[in-house]
Amino acid sequence: MRARLTTNLTTLSMVGPALVLFVVMLVVPVGLSLYLSLTDWDGYSANPAFVGLKNYVSLTHSAEAIRAGWVTLLIAAIGTVLLSVLGLGFALLVNGASRLNAFFRIVLFYPHVLSALVVGFLWSAVLGTSGVVNGWLTSKGTEVLPFLSDPKWALASLIAVLVWAGFGVNVVLYLAGLQTVSKDLLEAARIDGASKQQTFFNVTLPALAPVVTVNLVLSLVTLLKTYDLVVSLTGGGPAGSTQTAAYLILWDSFHNNALGFGSAQSVVLMVITAGLALTVARLRARADRGVQA
Amino acid sequence: MSALRMPRVATVQFKPFRAKGWGRVAFLVVTSVLMLVPMYLLIVSAFKSQQDILQHPFSLSPDQLTTEYLRKAATNPDFNIGKGYAVTILFVVSVNVLSVALAGPVSYVIARRSERRYRMLLLLFVAGTFIPSQVLVIPVVYTLKFLGLMGTIPGFVLFETTLTLPFSIFLYAGYIMTIPASLDEAAAVDGAGKHRVFWSIVFPLMKPAVVTMVILNTFSVWNDFVNPQIILGPGSGLYTVTTGVYAAVSQYSTDYTVVFPTLLLAVAPLLVVFVLLQRHVISGLTAGATKG
Repeated sequence: MRARLTTNLTTLSMVGPALVLFVVMLVVPVGLSLYLSLTDWDGYSANPAFVGLKNYVSLTHSAEAIRAGWVTLLIAAIGTVLLSVLGLGFALLVNGASRLNAFFRIVLFYPHVLSALVVGFLWSAVLGTSGVVNGWLTSKGTEVLPFLSDPKWALASLIAVLVWAGFGVNVVLYLAGLQTVSKDLLEAARIDGASKQQTFFNVTLPALAPVVTVNLVLSLVTLLKTYDLVVSLTGGGPAGSTQTAAYLILWDSFHNNALGFGSAQSVVLMVITAGLALTVARLRARADRGVQA
Repeated sequence: MSALRMPRVATVQFKPFRAKGWGRVAFLVVTSVLMLVPMYLLIVSAFKSQQDILQHPFSLSPDQLTTEYLRKAATNPDFNIGKGYAVTILFVVSVNVLSVALAGPVSYVIARRSERRYRMLLLLFVAGTFIPSQVLVIPVVYTLKFLGLMGTIPGFVLFETTLTLPFSIFLYAGYIMTIPASLDEAAAVDGAGKHRVFWSIVFPLMKPAVVTMVILNTFSVWNDFVNPQIILGPGSGLYTVTTGVYAAVSQYSTDYTVVFPTLLLAVAPLLVVFVLLQRHVISGLTAGATKG
């Protein structure tokens, strides 16, 4: 009896600290978000009023929130396609164990090491209206380009910088996937006289299918959370045209003191992200089974 | 996790001195130049005057270069970069130590016990990876206020550690399952307690998983912006490298003699670490990218 109690206490002392911290800093706050999303809290008043689903209803009427939603989806969709295509393309180009390939892999990957905030400031200094590129164009007597000052250009620049900073990760993931392609099959295709294109589309690509899926969904989940780069590259502008969901949520919660409304947006973003992350997990489980089969 | 290892094996050997091979290399060289141009601009512009940056951004004439702006950035009254490094390193070390100390034992229990409740516990922790931290930080502000930890170092370190738990526990538990349980049983027969068995027998064998997590946590704490910005806030006077860069650069974003030197000072340590440990860093950060 006593021995069993000691065992239980030992187990508790190993599980307890992590579990308590996790509950206090993650489970409780998520619950708080859910609760706040049903109130009109401004962040200060002692007694926030319960308003039911009002915040969720106003979400569907808010032009700003809807635009941020579309901007986020557009970034996620275009960004995901570019990251995956460039990721696979460059993985095929730098596959192989030469020193030169190792160098190229590092060069393609290094922006991922930098904080998104720094990357944004760096590119805004390069692309800004009075930035390096435009300063250079002016000194050459050419007209400046509105990289960050025109709504459409700014969104395109944001996506381009996201891709520049991120596709190295996709390259590495695809490289890992390429190592799992059966060498016997590649050899057999070569002996049968298949062209490089035929081998790629009929042997390599089908074998990479699970990796492709994982890459697509991972990029999507990451891009849906885009925040830091917006702060430092465009500041959400011009005229709010590059505000993402995460940007607007933090803005509404802390600058507009609309915590209830901000929380409702958070809950929607969390549900979408969790839905996609669950999809990743399920696809990954299927991919693992595929690799074993 | 095998799919996440850095590939080192050749599948296709490109023969040198082939026209096609040279086309590939030429294309990659052009791409590399595009990838490196912003870094080149960052480094050379840190040593140039505003006028020189704008008129001859790419030029590199030794007589025009000066360390004046770099020294100014290092002694910027808005952001003490030395203190920024110190604070950030303190956070990186605290989060790493606390993360291993908390996630290690719980992962050990989850890996070694077969009861249903421990599987549910793992699911609960892993579910945490689905919560975007930029959004989570909003309610956390009020939890920390309730605990009296808002705007404090312990409050920030505890929250940042919590963010590391889900993926750490997922990785560690999976890794411990590959370590034979007969090892710890032998130690238990010799009379060692569970904590002792974990820290002296199992933990040393977990080194690869711990290294991956330490790399991942180091980069994510160093580069984090939204959490320190909101939890520590401008009022606390505590700046990490990233929030310090924001404070120093955002007001003067068109004075490039402030922007470039400050950014260079902020990224230099991480770039050095990356170049020295690139293989580990790439595999660690890639494992992190897949945590979703």
